[in-house]
Amino acid sequence: MTLVVILLTLTGIVFFFATTVGILRFPDFYSRMHAAGKGDTLSSLLILLALVLYNFHEVNLANLLVAIKILLIVVFIFMASPTATHAIIDAGYESDIKPWTKNPEEES
Amino acid sequence: MIWQLDLSILTLIVICAFATIMVKDLLSAAIIFGAYSFLMCLLWTEMGAVDVAFTEASVGAGVSTVLFFAAVYQTSRRVGARKSGRLLSKAFALTAALLTGLVLLIAEADFPGFANPFTPASLHLSPYYITQTLHDTNVPNMVTSVLADYRGFDTMFETAVIFTAGLAVIAILRRFKKEARYDLPEPYVISEGYPDTIIRFVARQLVPFIQLFALYVVAHGHHSPGGGFQGGVILGASFILLAISFDFKIVLGIMSERWNVLLGNIGVLIYAGIGFLCLLLGANFLDYSMLSKVLPATDKIMARSHGMLGIEIGVAIAVMAIVVSIYLNIVSHGKYDKGL
Repeated sequence: MTLVVILLTLTGIVFFFATTVGILRFPDFYSRMHAAGKGDTLSSLLILLALVLYNFHEVNLANLLVAIKILLIVVFIFMASPTATHAIIDAGYESDIKPWTKNPEEES
Repeated sequence: MIWQLDLSILTLIVICAFATIMVKDLLSAAIIFGAYSFLMCLLWTEMGAVDVAFTEASVGAGVSTVLFFAAVYQTSRRVGARKSGRLLSKAFALTAALLTGLVLLIAEADFPGFANPFTPASLHLSPYYITQTLHDTNVPNMVTSVLADYRGFDTMFETAVIFTAGLAVIAILRRFKKEARYDLPEPYVISEGYPDTIIRFVARQLVPFIQLFALYVVAHGHHSPGGGFQGGVILGASFILLAISFDFKIVLGIMSERWNVLLGNIGVLIYAGIGFLCLLLGANFLDYSMLSKVLPATDKIMARSHGMLGIEIGVAIAVMAIVVSIYLNIVSHGKYDKGL
């Protein structure tokens, strides 16, 4: 059990790290938001699942309730985070931010 | 208490505070200020003050950021550069800030160390609350019992302060006449905006659950972190989410201005009314134990618990109405015709 918890947390941290690298290194607004939206959601899921499992060192009703609450947080993040990313990208598209291309001359 | 974590969060807070002042773009400043509030919330959670952290997360990082956005939307996004008397005023401000800091540092030397167990408060007052709360009031969360029962008078005036803030915003911003008294800059518009199906759908799905969670926070404040203030702010935020994702008019349709002001009054009146009910029943003001005479099947201890629930509901109603009315006033420039 503890091994699974450690594994999930580590995977979550790896994805968080990838998110951070993506935000810092990607060339333009859209790809950065892509990294932020995708990575954040998945790594939150992994780490919260790890918390749920860690909570079950002793199975009883109170722990079950806490686990359900944490899972509800996961559901909320899965609905809210991609929508927020969509809203931000939409606002960027509306204010005419040009997407990055490898050769700017080819496009225009 | 892990001091390394405390120190790193505190460093980030100081960086955020500096960035908020230095950034020229007001929208960025508002976002960084939200990050600052959230870091404060983390710090408080780390120190074990979960109720305060909850308030900071909902009020500081949540609603006040949105209110700043609304204010920026109605004014201007850039800091205006002032030319005249710049150096003198800056020097004056710096001196004032340094003097205040000096006075605070001198005063700080008289404080006992953090979490020192031999201060008078820790020797006499805190142990009473920690050991006797459950016995006195049947409320496991001692923060709620201290806030709503032992110091109910304080909290009543906190609610009154929030109510007064709402009244002040209405008095300053609300304009009933159609024609403008003075020329206002047109709101800063990024895009004209169009009905975005994804955002509207998700917002519509989320709002009922947010409101349910808010009611849970209000009603469950006795057993877990939360209470009237946090629940009221979350309720207000759900209306603001509706206003942002759909239309300004929808919120006005659900909660008209009349209802808004009325609900703010009702909330404060519920609080004060419960206090007066205790007076009428022959106890002190806000001494809920006498409520057992009117509430069926409760003894004096449970009556205190129920009394707290009653005033929490009053606080939640008042805070919700005031948050919504402040948002509506700021975002529509007091005209209630169109907004963000």
